[in-house]
Amino acid sequence: MGTLLSVLLSGLLLGGLYSLVAIGLNLIFGVIRVVNFAQGEFVMLGMYATFVAYNLLHIDPYLAILLVFPLLFVFGILVQRFILQRLQNEPMMQVFATFGLLMLLQNLVLAVTGGAAYSIRTPLSSMAIAVGPVQVSVPRVIALAAVTAVALILQWGLRNTMTGKAVRAVAQDRRAARLMGIDVERTYMLTFGVGAGLAGMAGALLTPIFTLSPQIGGNFILAAFAVVVLGGLGSVPGAYIGGFLIGMTEALAGYYLDPSLKQAAWFAIFIIMLIVRPTGLFGLAGAEEVGLRVQE
Amino acid sequence: MQRRTFVAAASVAAAGFATRARAADPIKIGAINPYSGGAALYGDETTRGYELAAMQANAKGGLLGRTIIIVRGSATNPQEAMAVVEQLAGRDKVDAFIGTFISAVSNAASEAALNNGKLYWDTQALAAQLTERGLPNFIRSGPNSADFAESSVNAITGLVANGLGKKPKDMSVWIQHEDSIYGTTIAKDQQAGLKAAGVTIVGVNAYSARAIDQTDVILRARNANPDVWLATGYTADNNLMLRTARDQGFKPKAMLLTGSGDTFETLDAMGKEYLEGILVVTYPRSDINPAYGPGAPDFLQAYRKQYNRDPIAPQGFTAFVGAQIMFQAIQAAGSTDYEKVRVAAAAMDLPVGSAPNGFGVKFDAKMQNTRAKPVIVQWQNGTPVTVFPEKAAPIGGKIVDLARK
Amino acid sequence: MPRIRTFRQELPPLALTAVLLAALVGLYSGDNFTLNILATTFLFAGLATAWNILGGFGGQFSLCHGVFFAEGAYLTANMVLGAGLSPWWSLAPAAGLAAATAVLISWPAFRLRGPFFAIATMTFSEVVLVLANYFESITGGPQGMRVPFRPGWQNMIFTGRIAYAWLMLGFLLLALIVSLVLLRSRLGYYLQAVRDNEAAAEASGIDVLRTKLMAFAISAAVTGVGGSLFVMYVRIVDPPTLLTLSDVGVRFALIALIGGVGTGYGPLFGALLVVPLEAWLRAELGAYAPGSNLVVLGAVLVLAALFFKRGLVGAFQSLPLPARWTGRLART
Repeated sequence: MGTLLSVLLSGLLLGGLYSLVAIGLNLIFGVIRVVNFAQGEFVMLGMYATFVAYNLLHIDPYLAILLVFPLLFVFGILVQRFILQRLQNEPMMQVFATFGLLMLLQNLVLAVTGGAAYSIRTPLSSMAIAVGPVQVSVPRVIALAAVTAVALILQWGLRNTMTGKAVRAVAQDRRAARLMGIDVERTYMLTFGVGAGLAGMAGALLTPIFTLSPQIGGNFILAAFAVVVLGGLGSVPGAYIGGFLIGMTEALAGYYLDPSLKQAAWFAIFIIMLIVRPTGLFGLAGAEEVGLRVQE
Repeated sequence: MQRRTFVAAASVAAAGFATRARAADPIKIGAINPYSGGAALYGDETTRGYELAAMQANAKGGLLGRTIIIVRGSATNPQEAMAVVEQLAGRDKVDAFIGTFISAVSNAASEAALNNGKLYWDTQALAAQLTERGLPNFIRSGPNSADFAESSVNAITGLVANGLGKKPKDMSVWIQHEDSIYGTTIAKDQQAGLKAAGVTIVGVNAYSARAIDQTDVILRARNANPDVWLATGYTADNNLMLRTARDQGFKPKAMLLTGSGDTFETLDAMGKEYLEGILVVTYPRSDINPAYGPGAPDFLQAYRKQYNRDPIAPQGFTAFVGAQIMFQAIQAAGSTDYEKVRVAAAAMDLPVGSAPNGFGVKFDAKMQNTRAKPVIVQWQNGTPVTVFPEKAAPIGGKIVDLARK
Repeated sequence: MPRIRTFRQELPPLALTAVLLAALVGLYSGDNFTLNILATTFLFAGLATAWNILGGFGGQFSLCHGVFFAEGAYLTANMVLGAGLSPWWSLAPAAGLAAATAVLISWPAFRLRGPFFAIATMTFSEVVLVLANYFESITGGPQGMRVPFRPGWQNMIFTGRIAYAWLMLGFLLLALIVSLVLLRSRLGYYLQAVRDNEAAAEASGIDVLRTKLMAFAISAAVTGVGGSLFVMYVRIVDPPTLLTLSDVGVRFALIALIGGVGTGYGPLFGALLVVPLEAWLRAELGAYAPGSNLVVLGAVLVLAALFFKRGLVGAFQSLPLPARWTGRLART
């Protein structure tokens, strides 16, 4: 009983981490429809920025969000404005460019750090609390709380602000949105910026949990794509819940099946889900029809 | 006495033809390691060892009276390994090769080197199978995966059993390993060795080093309730394992890591209080007793002087020694011709404790050095202290309490 | 409206390409370093050409071609090591196995469009990586499989690099012929119609699923053969070498894209640019600052995306040259 609870709880907390990484990608992939290979590298940059802030400026990793989010937000806007927007009509080339960006960022950090595996340790980062028979790691609980808060704020913003409505409109039909007078390019820049900023925030929240390496982004990215597709493109609750689905599958398969097969287990569920319901849990019907081909 | 032989041989090698050094062409040695990707740091540390060895040899007149030049070649996979051998052999005209932090790279590169008729001297690659191929140009001066497994088994049946006051046959061990060739081969040998010693194995688990959660592995280990937790992984996944073990309150009586976990990278992640007492099977470190490894202080000093910091990992020291043994063999052979070097190396016979890091030299028929063994260190107050072999332990160094609190 | 081109019209440029590439091999016949780069270039050019059949002509952004590549490699390794057969006998079964896999996965995969297809195939590739590591009896597991060095043409193992350059050139020409025959066949025109407008293609009576499926199978079959040759070339294969996305699956697509996706010769141009550039950067920079060669390569890729939006072939076409010259490289 204690074990099952431990497994379920670890799945829940892992789900929180997956949702966290996926929530920014969900905006980028869901709204702009760019398969952004470099999203994991944005998270990695967030982690290194947090590390630098902690070591040079002695800023707590959680406070560093206030620094890292704007940093990655601006970076994201630049990427969208100067790279992806120029390739708007060449969706395959956008994928190509994000892959180049991935290579560039990953190796830039490698060149600067030499590849040493850095970690940070704060009083909070090594804290675990007992809940009945199970142990919970505090930084993972914080990450879960943070992603819940972000999901709520984002969902509220998308529903109730003009900007949010514009983003949803663009996601649903770019051409119609343009006809309605929405500045599509500006909306894309904003969306990409927020998506990158959220990746940076995820990086800050992950820094107390993981040892940093220039390649770490690659460990998150595939799961993040799976979460976004599983949850439904552009759907905030979708990405939130999709994360838990994957996290829970992984935890159960890892414990009861075999840790070295757990990724295969959630891949399988993901592929089955794609076949049964390509729109994802919360996606709009027909959203998956919008291809890599030019829309306009 | 024998150590003196080693030193003497080295200085003869060095001084012998000093006068002719300037006239002759340099000896070029291609250093094949990964300088990008996940192993970049370790590839670089390894090659630094070669470069320091070459620098010291050059200061004493070079090799065969010629200056040694180390030419770096970067490879992270077999395909790049082939390309880099052709590059170094064809374009840079190297005389011999040395490497390699990645076994798969060594495998492909050494065959390509044979194709080019060049010696491939390995100081680092772990896969035991490399010497089993019987490649005529392949010599390995460092320990292989079987040596790491053997050392970890010896640590459990010796050090740990004594520390816990148990007999090996009353002990239980949990084995876990990352699922690439490195962890898999070591874990297989560990299993066989422990079984032979009568130790109970309560579980064996492979995991992907890329997984972002390892709670499942730790929960399985915790439920198996072993005396000893034996883990083989890379740095980042080991850190995550240790953090998860801490968070889940998993406290085996002893924890033994194989192959990594003795650097600041682990200390930064876990802190000295948590690490206290944890054992690591690793390459000889530069803190070893000079009575056992006579060149440790020199190496440390040379490294600091050249790179303005301490070595991050102990791999560089083993690489340094491996390059020195290579130079000695080439000197004795009088050429870099692989057949001659093979004969010369096979004739070398230096007992354990001869080389600067305590290695001895005696190659078996397949050209695996049988006197290069890993050591065991223990985290004590934030420093990895060598505790086995006992002669290698620094003055005043001894094993402290193993038990986890 | 231009007259529809047939495969016969593709023959002169194809022969010219073969002669030029063969001359390149002849020119560097004494230089193993360059020959090795040429062999790799031809192999990847062939693989990218194979990918282009589905990805370019069909517009389906597959990221699971590494799976077909790995299947070919593992099949050949098993036939050589297990049954002691000559690797030459394994080429046709490798093509067949890869094509069969493509047919099997296309039922679920082609329910998905655009980025969804890309992500599903990428995920599939990762599953196979995990399984290849796990099922040791077929793949040798993490230790991989090693083909011993026994030179001889019947073993497809050679001491000189030049033999591999010829072998890979042969593979490239095979891939180009398959690709061009297909491009100028009924199936090829159907495929492009499906790519350009699926609904319209369907409305005009094209069996969309069958068209995509055929393209997928052909594309996979050629990739499988490439995997077989790769294993005989490198003679050691393990799961990360065969299935790392960035080194294999994604790379085929990148090479095709940089050269000019959907064009007959684009993937070849892409490989001629990317593979030697990579090797050169690794040789010049790779050894010094860690990762610096890949920083430059990454930057080059981003710039290439920005300035050659339609690949090298696209850039060439936009040059002010007579249409008679540029037309040969055209999409349709």
